[in-house]
Formats: sequence, structure tokens, C-alpha cells
Amino acid sequence: MKNRLRVLRAERAWSQAELAARLEVSRQSVNAIETGKFDPSLPLAFRLARLFGLRIEEIFSDE
Amino acid sequence: MWCSSNPAQKRYRVRMIWAAFFCVVLAAAAAIGISHGRVSGIASYFLAVLPALPVAWSLVVTGAYLSEEKDEFQRNLYVQALLRGIAVTLALATGWGYMEDFRRAPHLDLIWVCPMFWIFTVASYPLVIRRYRS
Repeated sequence: MKNRLRVLRAERAWSQAELAARLEVSRQSVNAIETGKFDPSLPLAFRLARLFGLRIEEIFSDE
Repeated sequence: MWCSSNPAQKRYRVRMIWAAFFCVVLAAAAAIGISHGRVSGIASYFLAVLPALPVAWSLVVTGAYLSEEKDEFQRNLYVQALLRGIAVTLALATGWGYMEDFRRAPHLDLIWVCPMFWIFTVASYPLVIRRYRS
């Protein structure tokens, strides 16, 4: 699953650690999601979407 | 998980240290009590099985950690390490069992199965993490 997490994070000038703190997960989690090596659960995807003020499908795509 | 420090991981480490401590203490008590003939009969069976209780507790503690861990990625890493630990332990124990049966290999006491499982689980954790490094 692809995602725009790195771009969205860069737009807000957040580090991976900052994003991880806002999501209450580890920095490794953010890195694994960004690189597409780990697909988040639906609850975590919703938390990400709420944090960025977007819909889930605006962040993640199955292409 | 060994260098990270979220609250669930801290609790898990502390509980596992206590389980290991009690396992050593009870194993020593059982060895002293039984080998020196201070305890015999039915009581010796209870004493002999006592060191297994902290071992069982360590498995309960692991289950508790998995349910308390809020970071699903960390949970995923540890489940993968546990599965690798189980797989390697079962494969080696079964292989060694056949070696004992067919090739008269030295007997391996069953008490070593659980330590083997923890050693393989801990050893496989860095390998699991490496898969996710960018």
C-alpha cells in the first residue's frame, strides 16, 4: 500500500519523531509506515487522517 | 524493544526480570531440598514443579504485554520474534528427539526447551527489526 505520509509530514516540517509523538507510537512505526513496509490498522489510519485533516484515501492508496 | 521504553515495554521488562529471578531461586530451592533429602514423598513432587511456575508466569506476562502494547508496529515485531522463537525451538527439539531415538544422541532434558525458546526469540528480534530498516 502506498502513502503520502512523508510528503504530508514534510509540508508541516515535522520530524518522524514529532509525528510519532503526536500519534503516540514509536518513531520506528512511522518510518515503517512511510516506507510502505508496514500497513497500519484501520484505527491508526483514522488517527493519521484526523491528524492531517484528510480522509484516509487521501493519504493511502492501494496502487 | 530492548532499547525502546514505552510504558508497556518497561512493565514487561520488570515482570520478566522478576520471573527469571524467582525461577532461579525456586530451582535452587528445589535442588537443595530434594538432592539433600530434606524433602521427600508428595512434597518433593510439589517442590520439583515449583520452578516451572515462574516459567509459566513469563508466558502469561508475555501475553499481557501483547495486550497492553498500544504501538501496533512494536507488537507486530515482537509477535514475529515469538513465532520465530517457537518455530526454531520446535524444529530443533523435534530434530533432537529423533536423533535420540534413532542415533542415540545424548538426552536433552525438557527443562531446557523454555530457555531455548527465549534465547531464540531474543536472538531473532534484531533480525525481524532489520527487515523494516529503510
